[in-house]
Amino acid sequence: MRAVLLIAGNDLRQRLRDKSLLIMAILVPLGLTLVLNLVFGGLENEEIAAFAVADQDNGPVATQFTGRVLGALEREGVVDVRRVRTPEEGRALTEEGAVAASISIPPGFSQAVQAGRPAVIRIVGHVDRPVGVQVARSVVEAFAAELRYVQIAVATAGGPPERVAGEAAQAPAPVRFAEAEAARRQLDIGANMAAGMAVFFLFFTVQFGVTSILDERRDGTLARLVAAPIPRSAILAGKLLSSVVVGTASMAVLLVASGLILGVTWGDPLGVAALVLAGVLAATGVMGVVATFARNAEQAGGQQSVVAVLLGLLGGVFLPVAQLGAALSVVSLATPHRWFLRGLSELADGGGPGRVAVPVLALLAFALVTGAIAMARVGRMLRP
Amino acid sequence: MRALAIAGLGLRRLFRERINIFFVIILPIAMILIFGVSFGGFEPKLGLTGGQDGPLARRLAAETLRTQGVVIERAAGERALREAVERGEITAGLVIPAGYDAAVREGREVVVRYISRDDPAARQIGAAVRAAITQETYVLRAARFAVSRGGGDFDRGLAAARNAARALPGIRIESATAGTRLFPETVTSFNVAAGSQLLLFMFLTSLTGAAALIETRRLGLSRRMYATPASASAILLGEGLGRVGVALAQGLVIMLGSALLFGVGWGDPLGAAALLVCFSLVGGGAAMLMGAVFRTEQQAVSLGLLLGLGLAALGGSMLPLELFPEGLRVVARLTPHGWANEGFAALTRHGADIAGIVPQLGALTAFAVVLFAVGAWRLRVALTRG
Repeated sequence: MRAVLLIAGNDLRQRLRDKSLLIMAILVPLGLTLVLNLVFGGLENEEIAAFAVADQDNGPVATQFTGRVLGALEREGVVDVRRVRTPEEGRALTEEGAVAASISIPPGFSQAVQAGRPAVIRIVGHVDRPVGVQVARSVVEAFAAELRYVQIAVATAGGPPERVAGEAAQAPAPVRFAEAEAARRQLDIGANMAAGMAVFFLFFTVQFGVTSILDERRDGTLARLVAAPIPRSAILAGKLLSSVVVGTASMAVLLVASGLILGVTWGDPLGVAALVLAGVLAATGVMGVVATFARNAEQAGGQQSVVAVLLGLLGGVFLPVAQLGAALSVVSLATPHRWFLRGLSELADGGGPGRVAVPVLALLAFALVTGAIAMARVGRMLRP
Repeated sequence: MRALAIAGLGLRRLFRERINIFFVIILPIAMILIFGVSFGGFEPKLGLTGGQDGPLARRLAAETLRTQGVVIERAAGERALREAVERGEITAGLVIPAGYDAAVREGREVVVRYISRDDPAARQIGAAVRAAITQETYVLRAARFAVSRGGGDFDRGLAAARNAARALPGIRIESATAGTRLFPETVTSFNVAAGSQLLLFMFLTSLTGAAALIETRRLGLSRRMYATPASASAILLGEGLGRVGVALAQGLVIMLGSALLFGVGWGDPLGAAALLVCFSLVGGGAAMLMGAVFRTEQQAVSLGLLLGLGLAALGGSMLPLELFPEGLRVVARLTPHGWANEGFAALTRHGADIAGIVPQLGALTAFAVVLFAVGAWRLRVALTRG
């Protein structure tokens, strides 16, 4: 045990003297988080779509639509409604992108509907706002459907039309649309960037651990280490420990710093701590295994970078893999990055540490499997 | 001649390390592929469960499926649906309950649940879905109304309601579109991705490639070059050309590769070539400056990553400039990426030729001149001092 601590301590002293570790572990991820947050942060503020409405009819049916139907949408915060005088005015607003769609009701609309003659409502939608335009169209269609319902009821049921229409309007709709609110187990954009960068650069931060065995071989100190009366597993353990210490410290600094700068709260501290530790172990294990395949430190560095970049890319550090469809989402579960980010997301709505059990276990599984492989292969490396 | 030999050395050293091929060629092309394929993935998604166990339920599901601008995904059940909504994998979820047909026919109220986190996008889709339900069920409502007034059984009522619906003139909806698309319709997501990733990786390679310059100094190569009859200017020119050559070679491979593999069009060849050359010069100049200023290779690589990715993000290589807010567009013009992205956008999205991108080429040339001048000056100092 003493030997493990000595080796780790010696490595740590060497690393801390080297400024470039500090740059790679703290400065680069923090700097990139700030820049990415600046660029992507604006995307989060989704605006409520707006409609322009030109009612040139002002009859009872048209007023029902502009007042009751659109009024309800406005109250529910679905759309903002801007009333304009002419269809041209509405079209101009659509053209310049101030509204998603403009709806116009031509003169004589109400009369036509009441007399059972064909009537028209016109919609001009902006080309780049498919959802907003769809809302406009379907709201108008639903309004038309309601009118048709009453007309059909009158046509099929005998009796005085006015009374039937009144009764029909009272009859319950067959389907009730019930809204249920879901919790938010997802990091917002800024937090996601910060966590993504932290875990991405973590892999570079911990890569020196096992690789330093290769350094020692180059410098000729490995032979002395192997000749010392300590088990070989202690050498590997010492190397891994120094990586884990540096990795944990850098993650702590990054999460605290980005939390303070971006105003992110990371959720339950115990859960976050468990995730960080499991994530650091997984990263150290993965980078360690890669190092055991290399002949020298330069080669190890190159291969580790490739693995770190690929895992980060697939794990959703640079793009939201979870939102990009099933295939990529499933593949991403084969990366520690995805589990780490998912774990933090689980804590986003204030849940307790129990929420991260699965992500932490997944990360520990990565650590265990890769650690075991590294242990099995390290014998070859320690042959001086 | 001597300068060219030194330049050639730079290229050879880059590609002798096999691993560099991954970062210089394979990764950029893979990124273009990923972004090209996944761009459509950013449309809002609606999850749907149920609606398969009867003709009426199927009709309702089909009506919701017609919601435009939204991708509809089938989900395994309400639990999976809710979880996907909570994780933001889908914008909202719709649950059509089992036994929908029977309930409607028997006149019991059916509750269709819409699960969402309360945000503007989900509210819009909710309004569209609710409207779609009204559209699909108004005939059913009429049929039930007829039944409630003693009009026989549900099927007869439904048939009568459908017949009546056909005879009614109703309200016709005329729709048209207005406005100009941010991205012309002919532009593929591969096109947008290719231009931006090209610039990101060319510049990144240039900056991290500055490590090679530092290595040249550390290994004493530059001192040995200086000891030959080669003049300091020839060495500087050679090192500079080497960096530019690396950027040019990488850029050409990515441009041709993405054109062949993904059918990416680069617009006016003359304009594209001019942009490529100018941007390579900017990258080469930046590499010389970095190579002169930093002392260790690790520093150059770390800060090269920060500057390379940071400037790319600010210059529209991670998010298209079209989606930038006003203020950030001004910032984008402080980066070479911003100008080059504008240039490629003009060539590939708006049909400009080389004459149309003169301002962009000018700005890039200015960047290149300043970086080369300062870089050559600092590198000369660094080289001659050993």
